[in-house]
Amino acid sequence: MTAAQHTAARAGLVSCEACRLLSRPASTSTPGFCRRCGEKLESRHHASIETTWALVIAAAICYIPANVLPVLNTTSLGETEADTILGGVAFLYASGSWPLALIVLIASVMIPLGKLVALVYLMLTIQRGSIANNRERTRLYRIVEIIGRWSMLDVFVVAFTVALVQLQPLTSVAPGAGVLFFAAVVVLTMLAAESFDPRLIWDASGGQQADHG
Amino acid sequence: MADAPDLDALPQAVVTRRKRLRISIIWIIPLLAAMVAIGIAIQRVRSEGPTITIVFKGAEGIEAGKTFIRYKDVRIGLVSAVELSEDYSRVLVKAKIAKHAAGLMVADANFWVVEPRISLSGVSGLSTLLSGNYIGFQAGASSESQSSFVALDEPPIITDQPGRQYVLKTPTLGSLGVGTPIYYRRLNVGQVTGYALTPDGKSVDVTVFVHAPYDKYVTTNTRFWMVSGVNVTLDADGVRVRTESLAALLAGGVAFDLPEFATHGEPAPSNTEFALYRYRGIAMKEPDPVERRYVLHFNESVRGLSTGAPVTLYGLPVGEVTDVGLDLDAKTLVFRPRVAITFVPDRLIEQLPPGERMRSGVMMTEMSPEARLRMLRRIVDEHGLRAQLRTGSLLTGELYVAFEYFPDAPKVKVDWTRDPLELPVVPGSLASIEAKLGSILTKIDKLPLDAIGNDVRSALATLDKTLKDANAFVTRVDTELVPEGAKTLDELRRAIADAGRVIKNADATLFSKDSPAPQDLRDMLQEITRAARSVRVLVDYLERHPDTLLRGKPTEKP
Repeated sequence: MTAAQHTAARAGLVSCEACRLLSRPASTSTPGFCRRCGEKLESRHHASIETTWALVIAAAICYIPANVLPVLNTTSLGETEADTILGGVAFLYASGSWPLALIVLIASVMIPLGKLVALVYLMLTIQRGSIANNRERTRLYRIVEIIGRWSMLDVFVVAFTVALVQLQPLTSVAPGAGVLFFAAVVVLTMLAAESFDPRLIWDASGGQQADHG
Repeated sequence: MADAPDLDALPQAVVTRRKRLRISIIWIIPLLAAMVAIGIAIQRVRSEGPTITIVFKGAEGIEAGKTFIRYKDVRIGLVSAVELSEDYSRVLVKAKIAKHAAGLMVADANFWVVEPRISLSGVSGLSTLLSGNYIGFQAGASSESQSSFVALDEPPIITDQPGRQYVLKTPTLGSLGVGTPIYYRRLNVGQVTGYALTPDGKSVDVTVFVHAPYDKYVTTNTRFWMVSGVNVTLDADGVRVRTESLAALLAGGVAFDLPEFATHGEPAPSNTEFALYRYRGIAMKEPDPVERRYVLHFNESVRGLSTGAPVTLYGLPVGEVTDVGLDLDAKTLVFRPRVAITFVPDRLIEQLPPGERMRSGVMMTEMSPEARLRMLRRIVDEHGLRAQLRTGSLLTGELYVAFEYFPDAPKVKVDWTRDPLELPVVPGSLASIEAKLGSILTKIDKLPLDAIGNDVRSALATLDKTLKDANAFVTRVDTELVPEGAKTLDELRRAIADAGRVIKNADATLFSKDSPAPQDLRDMLQEITRAARSVRVLVDYLERHPDTLLRGKPTEKP
């Protein structure tokens, strides 16, 4: 038995999300507000699992049109070309610049998908009350939270390209519907990661399996 | 108190009922996302037309996702995949067709690759230089929809213009090609749209398209012929050069017209088959409905006699040579030239005066075979109808077959039961000249030239001797007779001089003053003058006094 067994929730205390001040809640049902910074106190995020599920499902739905619909419509000399993300990857790979293709593939296809899979995995394990690999799951959550924003790179590139390449009679570039869905995926996964409460990972084990694995 | 239950461990009842299935508002987000995504999916599916497969021989310039299918310059589809067929011999191009164009995918629609083409008849597909190749489309007339097509190798030149298409059958393609112009009275009225070998490989079907205002001139009686470049015809009639236009001169062409003899006829429906003649002369020739076939066996060279050479009767064409070959006599093993000809009675009838044409025509064409044979037999046996090879053109040595009556021709035996009938021949003009020359030479050869020479020589010797004798005779005359003659002449001259002297003497004797003769003559003349005067006086008196004759001279009064 170590001190890690004692958790704030078990001791009937609440930690402030903003300033980390440990305080006693006003009541068990409504913890009240932080005395120091005024943040609303919550032992665990309100409806964390449910919200995260909703956002993850929404992101998963958006992920399909984001990859199927074109993200960029290039009109060059009267010929319009519609490019999807995977089409761009294939084009980059076919044209020989496979490192670029790899970057785009990882940043735009694999990371959003990986985030969705990771969040689903985390929530399933929490709901099943799994106590295994708590530390790894926490690390996974940290990675998801950190890299999430980088997926906006694609949206950024599209926005830049559309703004820069406007040689009207010769070439013009317009954003496709896919980029909207792609941005939605990124935003929704970021929100999902935000609404997910990593403390839930440890609730099932009660801190006992902290050193396991 | 082991039996006392631990009441504190029992769950505490709650005041408010636990909310079951309380759904957070957050679920609106996935719901919204799902609705939008499903909406887009539905729209996509609904706007999506059929996917078709087009079989190409090669995928030059076709790229998945980039090559469009265009109809009237409107994009009606996009190539979605380019892959090889299972046997790797062809390219299967899968294309998504726009929903609004789905109705165009019918059984007889055509696809082809549009690429820049430069040919003698024009430049096409220039826009593809910038935009890349695309797949052209031609709508079909069928109502049966289809999803698998075989692309055309060549673009159809005509796509949606009004007009009609026809099929021309020709043994060889000549210099024709897709895009070759069609001429009607030297107007460019259409194009060759394609050609294909017939399944049996023996002829070529050329499809042509004639534009709308002109297609009404293509009737069931129309004839098509090639105007491939320069048409030089060399035959027994001489040299003929024809060309249609400069473009046709370079690229060839097809012309059509109505033969003069033919009626206008009904406009030909689409895809009517026509024969494509080699040149105008053949095309415009009137069809020869009734033909009689005969065989001629000549005993001379038939070099220069070609198929199609005219057969004439007294110089007027009545048929043509259909075949020239050799026959082997089974008994004698001798080769003889065989010339098969056709005789066209209609052509003979044409030469008759218009009034007699009908009657003779009916008589000749509707005669029973037996009667015709009898008539021919009479003509051959009694009047001596014979065939003869003649030179049509001394320049080219072309021969033709001439029929004429040779009443003096030797009688021949004709097997009247054979079919085709073999007609008797006489040697050709050139051949007969050769024969005559030969016989003359033979006769000359037979002359006793040596004997004649000897005779001539002896005659000449005799003549020589005679001339020598004559010369000797003349010399003798010269030496012997001439002096005698001179003496004779001298004597003659003396005699003449004597005669002159005699005359002179006579003259002197008669007319000298002293002679009496002139006095007498003078007296006589005076006497005569007096007499004449007396007569005059008497006559005057009588004129004045005619009564004197009755009454006598009155007595003179005193």
